[in-house]
Amino acid sequence: MAERCAVIGVGQTHHTAKRIDVSQAGLLREAATRALEDAGCSWADIDAVVIGKAPDMFEGVMMPELFLAEALGCVGKPMFRVHTAGSVGGTTAIVASQLVKGGIHGRVLTVAYEKQSESNAMWALSIKIPFRQAIVAGAGGYFAPLVRGYMNRSKAPEDVGIRVALKDRLNALKNPYAHLKFPDIDFEQVASSPMLWDPIRYLETCPSSDGACAMVIADESIAERADKQPAWVQATAMRSEPTQFAGRDSVNPQASRDAAAELWQKAGIQSPRDEIDCGEIYVPFSWFEPMWMESLGFAPEGEGWRMTYDGATALDGDLPVNMSGGVLSSNPIGASGMLRFAEAANQVRGQAGEHQVRGAKRALGHAYGGGSQFFSMWVVGNEPL
Amino acid sequence: MADELLSAPHVLEYDYRRSLGDTLSRFFTGLRDREILGVKTKAGRVLVPPAEYDPETGEATTEDWSAVGPEGVVKSWAWVAEPLGRHPLDRPFAFALIQLDGADTALTHVVDTGDESAMQTGMRVTAKWADETVGAIRDIVAFVPTPGGGSA
Repeated sequence: MAERCAVIGVGQTHHTAKRIDVSQAGLLREAATRALEDAGCSWADIDAVVIGKAPDMFEGVMMPELFLAEALGCVGKPMFRVHTAGSVGGTTAIVASQLVKGGIHGRVLTVAYEKQSESNAMWALSIKIPFRQAIVAGAGGYFAPLVRGYMNRSKAPEDVGIRVALKDRLNALKNPYAHLKFPDIDFEQVASSPMLWDPIRYLETCPSSDGACAMVIADESIAERADKQPAWVQATAMRSEPTQFAGRDSVNPQASRDAAAELWQKAGIQSPRDEIDCGEIYVPFSWFEPMWMESLGFAPEGEGWRMTYDGATALDGDLPVNMSGGVLSSNPIGASGMLRFAEAANQVRGQAGEHQVRGAKRALGHAYGGGSQFFSMWVVGNEPL
Repeated sequence: MADELLSAPHVLEYDYRRSLGDTLSRFFTGLRDREILGVKTKAGRVLVPPAEYDPETGEATTEDWSAVGPEGVVKSWAWVAEPLGRHPLDRPFAFALIQLDGADTALTHVVDTGDESAMQTGMRVTAKWADETVGAIRDIVAFVPTPGGGSA
């Protein structure tokens, strides 16, 4: 694992509720061709493809990678499918980077997607199993008690979640690819939106989106010749743990803390708050911003909410978080993790457009999935480590 | 040991949606108009059914469309001697790969000859259209031997 590698191309679709104008293959190809174009290369230049998406039941296609192989130019080339629930987009990018880091391939295309309009994730996550109590609450119902647990532990003010949602929704207005855009959004609108899963309000929740994201990851010799600034992959980390076990801390899971510790150690980072310029982290429900800020080590336990409150995580703060508008603004589930990783890459490439953090040199991309049990993260920089 | 071992039905169903996109929407609306359309790759091959991409290279296909068939050649086939309820015909038939005249790839469809002995790789067949077409693959009921068509 000695080779250096970098993101040399990024592409994504305009995320929206229903892309009935394209097939699943067409949706992926939109993101993939944009990434190839950004990288200045063609389908023929790609050595291998790594694809990721959330559970197959979300679209009702078993092993969709098989029928998508031709659409992704995989004929005669290695193709791998990754699955780690909602974190899959991040994990997929990590696997792609490892194929390059390991010296196996020179240029790998990685793609992740979800076409939620062809299905219903809420249904797929709420299957009624014989003999068992059906909760029928989907992801929000699962995560609401964890948010309440964090509120009880931290004694954070009740409106932290509202402030996170407002910040991310304002950031989304600067992102041409974002799904949800509320031009007149304000604190009162978020605060007065319906309570979906107490304490999570409607406007503190991610949407259901159709969308895809793709990146071209290349080795050092190719990245150095790239026309645009590459995003060097400085460190990656992935951890998982069971959904339930005795003594599990599901508010601040061990797997999350362990992955973060490994990430910072690999990247040679002593103080994440001082050494990371911006972070794009997986926040499908607003309160997960302070929860992950603590778990990742940006703030002491019980203090993460202050970063939101003090404006530290705003676009003009000292550690901007979710500059793109985040998962709260666009959520093509399988692609959501990769979008975080791609936004981190674009920030250090200076390619983030209106939501660019000026002078960003080192950025964090983060994703989590399942019942807060899969964690994928990377640090990218404008220089190799 | 339990006095009684329990099990219960587990019905799992959901009405998914499929979006065809531009390329396949054009193919299926073509069928509705009783026309079989193919699309040309950059390398010049005509794909039927059409795809958004050249399966060999991943490159996008062109905007060069052409009508193919309705006659073609059976490239390969498998006889279904005892059709089940959901099979396309209620009598013995062949599933076959059919390369339509003007196409460079084969289409999976049904050949209705009544008897396996009438099936032959290389035989010429013609599309038989449904009385009412709706924009689906079954707008072609089956392919039938071309009268005096022989084999290629």
